[in-house]
Amino acid sequence: MAALRLFSRCLALKKYDSLPNIAPVSIIFNRTLKYLPKEYNETDPAPLFFNGEIQSLLKTLTRVNLNKVYRRRKLGQKKLDLPTYKFVTDEQLQEMMKDAEVKADELLQMPPVLKIRGVRDRVLSRDPALQGYDAATYIFTDITFGIKNIDRIIIAREPDGTLREADWPLRDRMNQVYFPLPGRELKPPLMFQDNYLEKLLTRKEYEFILDRSCIQFEPDDLDYQRVTTITYQHVNDNNDFEILRSTRHFGPLAFFLLWHKEIDNLLLDLIQSSQIQEANVLLQLYEKFHKVELNVTGLQNTEALEKYIKEFSNKRGSLELAVQAYKELEEEKKQMERDLKHVHGVA
Amino acid sequence: MATHILNITKSLQKLTINSRYKIKSTECVKPCVPQACEVIFNNVIRSSANFFGKLPANALWKGITSVSNAGRKRGRAKTVSKKNIKDLNRGQIIGVGKANIVWPGLSAPIIRGKELVEQQKLPEDPDREKKLVQLRDTMGTFKFAKLNPMDRGWTGAKMPGRSIGPPDPIGEDKFDGFDTRVLELKTVFNMKGNFGRKRRLSVFVVTGNSNGLAGFATGKGLESKIALRKAKNRAGQKLMHIKIFRNHTVYHDFFTRFGSTKIYVSQRPPGHGLICHRAIKTICNVVGIKDLYAKVEGSTNLQHVVKAFFLGLLKQKTHQEIAEEKQLHLVELAKETSDFPTVLASPSKCREPKDVSNDEILNFTQYALNGKVVYRKRREAPFFTKLKSWEMYLKKQEKLRGQQQVRINMLAEYGELRSFLTEKYPECRPAKKPPKESQEES
Repeated sequence: MAALRLFSRCLALKKYDSLPNIAPVSIIFNRTLKYLPKEYNETDPAPLFFNGEIQSLLKTLTRVNLNKVYRRRKLGQKKLDLPTYKFVTDEQLQEMMKDAEVKADELLQMPPVLKIRGVRDRVLSRDPALQGYDAATYIFTDITFGIKNIDRIIIAREPDGTLREADWPLRDRMNQVYFPLPGRELKPPLMFQDNYLEKLLTRKEYEFILDRSCIQFEPDDLDYQRVTTITYQHVNDNNDFEILRSTRHFGPLAFFLLWHKEIDNLLLDLIQSSQIQEANVLLQLYEKFHKVELNVTGLQNTEALEKYIKEFSNKRGSLELAVQAYKELEEEKKQMERDLKHVHGVA
Repeated sequence: MATHILNITKSLQKLTINSRYKIKSTECVKPCVPQACEVIFNNVIRSSANFFGKLPANALWKGITSVSNAGRKRGRAKTVSKKNIKDLNRGQIIGVGKANIVWPGLSAPIIRGKELVEQQKLPEDPDREKKLVQLRDTMGTFKFAKLNPMDRGWTGAKMPGRSIGPPDPIGEDKFDGFDTRVLELKTVFNMKGNFGRKRRLSVFVVTGNSNGLAGFATGKGLESKIALRKAKNRAGQKLMHIKIFRNHTVYHDFFTRFGSTKIYVSQRPPGHGLICHRAIKTICNVVGIKDLYAKVEGSTNLQHVVKAFFLGLLKQKTHQEIAEEKQLHLVELAKETSDFPTVLASPSKCREPKDVSNDEILNFTQYALNGKVVYRKRREAPFFTKLKSWEMYLKKQEKLRGQQQVRINMLAEYGELRSFLTEKYPECRPAKKPPKESQEES
């Protein structure tokens, strides 16, 4: 201990008996879900995700709607507070609106998409002389103020005398013990277990799942990626894109679908709702992700779309039909405009 | 002399006969066989008059079932209760008795068809006695119809607060969706030189459709039923439109008064409920206001409270009116919507910042109250918080502060309450009550 104090840092010591409640966080996998998690475990998606251009394109896909961003939320109060009323001039109102937009940008900041973190199992020393000194693991945590959770030194002395770096679950737990984050539990809530998660998914509580997983886990945690990827797949299969639009989770969802080349459902949804610009943005992203040429020239054209359908799509039939319907609708609109102009004697 | 003795013996005889017909029960029972008595009395010579023979049956009945006012004051009404007064004549018909005999001309027609009906004895009716007893049991035990707890008024079995239904339709016009509530029911007197004191009932009601249409009125009548009907129908004729903000509360805080009754009304968020005088609460229910706080100051004369509240409701300005008056936008910032500026109302022409003077009231509540400041009394801490024992109690409680949450978490995680030793020593569990069955057996 004296040697450790030489670091002139505060060290917190925890002694753990072999208790059940400190056993590494284990989530019981009852494989009842029909989805398998698809973690980002091979190539690192971060460079692509943090690219400025891709961020802005993902934001375009999010389709910011202030009414939805600032929707009425339950804040966990027992009683609602009275709103405040203000008399404002035109200028003040515009400023307030501008501030709201800036704040909306903050609220819509996407959770990062990262590769899952590597294993931490570096052994610092093996001291067989200490074997059998105690039945408990000693954990040493550097609790100096102002160190990031990720940089904090946390080491463990095993009963067999091995001094090793704490592994991720242990680190998370110790960080939460000494520097609790509001909303994060010491142990992952049961809702992230497959059997409970399935119920939430069938109830379409996607936002709740994704929000809570953001609070509970680190973005490069295996559990985080398990929960989110399963949710994304469920959203994709049920075409529930509208639920996640204008939330911060739409970007990562689109990123996931692009990464795994599963954009057909989203594309179909966009074409059917006549959002041809967004469909083209999606194809632009597809080009960037998979280094293919789709020649997206204008955002109103359907050529790139047709090319994509021909070459890469898995749902060719329905997509082609949707494009056809879209074209006919556009033609009808144009015709009607022409007729109207004719009737009014404009052209 | 001999005749004298004969008279005495006869009067003695009469006394003994009388004693035979004495009523045995302690209950006051109306003599059910007066004919027999009369027969006996007719046969004897009445020498002395007692009240029993002197008074008619009605007077006797009254004497035994009621107490004079003077007697009531002396406490004699205690023993006379309606429960004990039973009219044994009820349910009995002349000619019909225990022995089921047909008496032509009394209990049956003399001629039936072409035949003469003969007197005859029929088998006894076993139910007759039972029916009579049942009838007598129900006497004196009158019960009011049971009222659903939700239909009860403010207090006990009184009318105020109770619903009396919508006003009666006028021709084709029906008061659909209306409900009338009694606010006051009292006796009023009128004094006149020639008629003297005249007593009437005065009823004060409010009616409304729970959607911003309401009216109130009084009605008078000799009977409560008439007064209620009059008041209800008059209220239906005096309907007023009342503005309700987002269908749940008032547009803004306001102060209103009628006479010396002053009311401070303030807006409340959804789910708050009606925290106010019971009459105001009833009015709000009828009008359709769901959340509100109101404080009545000064006189709580009910009619004044109602009038003051209605005046205040009617004088409310909508947000559009306020914005137009102020020539500024009215913006709402709510915590639930992350303080997004929701524009409630915009004027047709907005003022420039330079036109807004420094001494102008820009606080919405202040503006709505017209500069009046509501005195909010600071609630003093209870006396015991100054005691040493309270400090000790708080210290002791501190270590238990998270107990409830820990229990919940533990139950969620392990399904039971346990200690960190439970794994090793299974007896480290809170004691459980044995199941009920085994308790019964032991």
